[in-house]
Amino acid sequence: MGILSWFERSRPDADEDDVREEIRSHLAIAIEERMADGADPQTARYAALREFGNVTLTTEAIRGVWTPRWLEAVREYAGDLRYAVRALAKEAAFSTTVVGVLALGIGLNAAVFTMLKGLALAPLAGVARSGELAVISSETSTGRQVRVSYPDYRYLRDHDRAFSGLFGSAVATLGLGRGRSARQIWGELVTGNYFQVLDVHAQIGRTLLPSDEVAPGRHPVIVLSDGLWRRDFEADPDVVGKTVLVNNHVLTVVGVADPTFHGTVVSYDVEVFIPVMTAPRLGFTFGSQQATPSGILADHRAAVFFPQGYLRPGTTLAHAAAQADGLWAALARDRPLTDAAQHLRVVPFWQAPGSGPTYALPAVSVLGAMGLFVLMIACANIAGLVLVRGVSRRGEIAVRLALGAAPTRIVRLLVIENLVLAVAAAVLGLLLARYGIVVLVGYAERLAAPQRIFFNTEIDGLIMGFALLVGCGSALLFGFVPALHSSRVALVSVITDDASPRTASRRRLRSILVVAQVAVSLLLLVGAGLAARSVEAARRSDPGFDASQVTAVALNLRQSGYDRWQGRTFYRDLLEAARAGPDIESATLAAHVPLSLHETRPERIAIERYEPDRDEDLVFMSNIVAPDYFRTLRISLTAGREFEEADDESAAPVAIVNNTLAQRFWGAAADAIGKRLRVGDGDWRTVIGVASDVKYARIDEAPRPYVYLPFLQSYRGSMVLHTRGRGAVDRLVEQARASVAALDADLPILSAKPLADETRGALIFFDLIATMLSVFGAAGMGLAAVGIYGLVSYTVAQSAHEIGIRMVLGASGVSIVREFLARGLRLGAAGAALGLVAALGASRLLGSFLFGVSPTDGTSFFRALAIVVGGVIIAAIVPAWRASRTNPLSALRHQ
Amino acid sequence: MAKTSDDARLELLQGTLDMLILRTLQWGPQHGHGIGQSIRTQSEDLLRVETGSLYPALHRLVKRGWLKAEWGVSRANQRARFYRLTPEGKKQLLREESRWTQLVRAIGRVMKPAAPPETEE
Repeated sequence: MGILSWFERSRPDADEDDVREEIRSHLAIAIEERMADGADPQTARYAALREFGNVTLTTEAIRGVWTPRWLEAVREYAGDLRYAVRALAKEAAFSTTVVGVLALGIGLNAAVFTMLKGLALAPLAGVARSGELAVISSETSTGRQVRVSYPDYRYLRDHDRAFSGLFGSAVATLGLGRGRSARQIWGELVTGNYFQVLDVHAQIGRTLLPSDEVAPGRHPVIVLSDGLWRRDFEADPDVVGKTVLVNNHVLTVVGVADPTFHGTVVSYDVEVFIPVMTAPRLGFTFGSQQATPSGILADHRAAVFFPQGYLRPGTTLAHAAAQADGLWAALARDRPLTDAAQHLRVVPFWQAPGSGPTYALPAVSVLGAMGLFVLMIACANIAGLVLVRGVSRRGEIAVRLALGAAPTRIVRLLVIENLVLAVAAAVLGLLLARYGIVVLVGYAERLAAPQRIFFNTEIDGLIMGFALLVGCGSALLFGFVPALHSSRVALVSVITDDASPRTASRRRLRSILVVAQVAVSLLLLVGAGLAARSVEAARRSDPGFDASQVTAVALNLRQSGYDRWQGRTFYRDLLEAARAGPDIESATLAAHVPLSLHETRPERIAIERYEPDRDEDLVFMSNIVAPDYFRTLRISLTAGREFEEADDESAAPVAIVNNTLAQRFWGAAADAIGKRLRVGDGDWRTVIGVASDVKYARIDEAPRPYVYLPFLQSYRGSMVLHTRGRGAVDRLVEQARASVAALDADLPILSAKPLADETRGALIFFDLIATMLSVFGAAGMGLAAVGIYGLVSYTVAQSAHEIGIRMVLGASGVSIVREFLARGLRLGAAGAALGLVAALGASRLLGSFLFGVSPTDGTSFFRALAIVVGGVIIAAIVPAWRASRTNPLSALRHQ
Repeated sequence: MAKTSDDARLELLQGTLDMLILRTLQWGPQHGHGIGQSIRTQSEDLLRVETGSLYPALHRLVKRGWLKAEWGVSRANQRARFYRLTPEGKKQLLREESRWTQLVRAIGRVMKPAAPPETEE
């Protein structure tokens, strides 16, 4: 029997006409026979039909013979599905509410899960197993994570057996192009095996190869990202062989990376990939003191990157760490390390030191917990709705059972009904999550502009699976189980009696739902309130400098071919021109802006006559600033003076330290003046001033030692011009920009904006988290309010009969409202008490995300409590009031 | 399907309908109505096959390849679907007949022991 003929036979309607015709002919013969026996046509026909029995049933039975079993099952399920959809459509209010509520719960959780994916599960787009990458870092005694130098990386790569391949990559800001069109982009300086280990291919030309890592300076090549290729080369298919100008060096394009690939730095949209051998040429020193072109490639003390790769199958992180540390010990024997004692750690990619995930993951886990709470409230809502609806369905189910429907069939119907709701909610939830993520990322992109950021937040199978799982799980647990509960009905009692459940167990279940929703929503609101107050505190907190009326214009002279002497002249002229501008109070230069989010310029500091402990870590952040810096940023000096024009190369080397450093090593600010310190291997410098502390990297950082060096004694090509003046700050920015252009019209201005905009980045994190927490809190509260209102008002409605009797017996409306209010408040109070206890416990976990507000902040708790209790009161009063105004007789008659 | 509760009528044993149909068709092709009537008259009106059982059974046998169905014209010049035994169907009939004989013999032994040798009385 061929497949086709089998299909032909299995097609149910293939011989439908035959069957009909056959039955017709059967009847015709039967009638004929009866008429031959002498019956009149009418009687014969009637008798034949009666003898035949049910034509439809027979037709169905014949068709059943030809239908394969699976098709029959599919048909049956399709029938159930149709029935479920029809039943749900008939109760549009119920279905829409359940789908909406569940979609909100799923949406928030899917959004958090998407972030989790973008940070840890699959952080790198276009890399198949990016969640499994492991990273090597070296750790100092104080727990500071230090990058590994290039020669050390080479040693590890050549000797390690735990990784299937170890690549290195250092993210860097690069100047692309020259002149006015020049801009700053993110690039990765990578080892030759980078693309091979990651298994990323080129869409045009080739990727970088191990043959691009042979000798320093011999590989002036570059691989472009898909984005850069489209933006700057209009997707030119003949781009290979063309040249681009990076940091004023000509590099030849050898290929364009896969369109999905955005580099290996979470949150950075990396646009170019350059061999690490080319890095010295482009001016990257990584703290190396060796000025030769091969500087960082030979210097064991230049911190270049965290080597990473995939562990071999069966290798654990601990095993890999033990191996790497063994190699490290051997390395240290050959070459005494001048830095504090170190050992190697191997951590999963999402724990890579200083990476986006390490900053964001704790907050995202808090969001995840919040999301679960919202989902819990949503589920309680659904359970409440189903309980209420279950009552109205008891009649229907009883009738079906009475008509002979198997209980399994009814269970199946209920399951299918809930799955229909779950799938609809999952789809809607995914849309919600997608839209939410787009809005969120868009917001972050605007804040980060002109720098490009990228997160791997595409909705993929993983996230869809998650949403479906959450949806179906919630629907089955909180929709199907209560439905089953309410469908377990004694036939007789339901059909003969009315269908209202007055059983104590059901009322208790409703009460538990109300209490639970009140408790969880209180928890959520406390969390959201604390977060909102932290952001408020962070916004108001004093960063130690005054950014208002200050501009920040970033320049890179090196990129435009200025040497040290030309650069010095340019900056001197620039400051002069800037200061001469109208309404300008002061102007200065700085290598880094405060609140940079980065560990800017960590330097090893030696203090004269201070013997550090063997393991003491004396690497601190530092900055290079021109005269007038402290005046321009209004950072107060607690002792001494600020840098002056006289502090140039011909004068004695000087430095300014911050208060924390002065107190740590010399006891008091005033005692620091005249003392000496050394930065790296440089000259001994005399401390001439002590500045008060500033928030250097993050708004929530602890006080940290900090060193300022004078620009006139330590030249740097890439600086930021700050001017302070009166009037609109945007005009000041334009003015600063103009003074740069007046000196060199072709010099690229990498960015020009008010300093306040520049430092706002440090608040992004707080902002985003707080916004999301508020959204979660609002969603949870909204859901809980609707749910509580629904349950309480349903209880009241169920008691319409009772209210009617009481009113007839002379009870006043007020007394009835009071009675229901008391009932509602009792439940509300129980929930609030539970919620407060839970919130007190949970808010401690929030502690590390809070800023300037205690985890037991009274205001947050009080506000949350007020909102929740207010919600309960409204939910109790309105329906009770309405019930008390109904005509008692109609209420009595109704039942 | 509702069974008529005529005491005189016998209920068909499960699985015997197929055999009866095959047997009836041994005498030549016949249409559904004819098969039903044939079984009824041959059993002297003791067995009456419901159309609701007969037709699904016929189609089942066609599906198994034991019968072949084709349209033809009845004696009374009516268009009707005729069923015919296939060679496979003939073999099946033999198998069912022998199984049936064995079954009857076995049941007969149980119900009417011919010579109980083990009786101790």
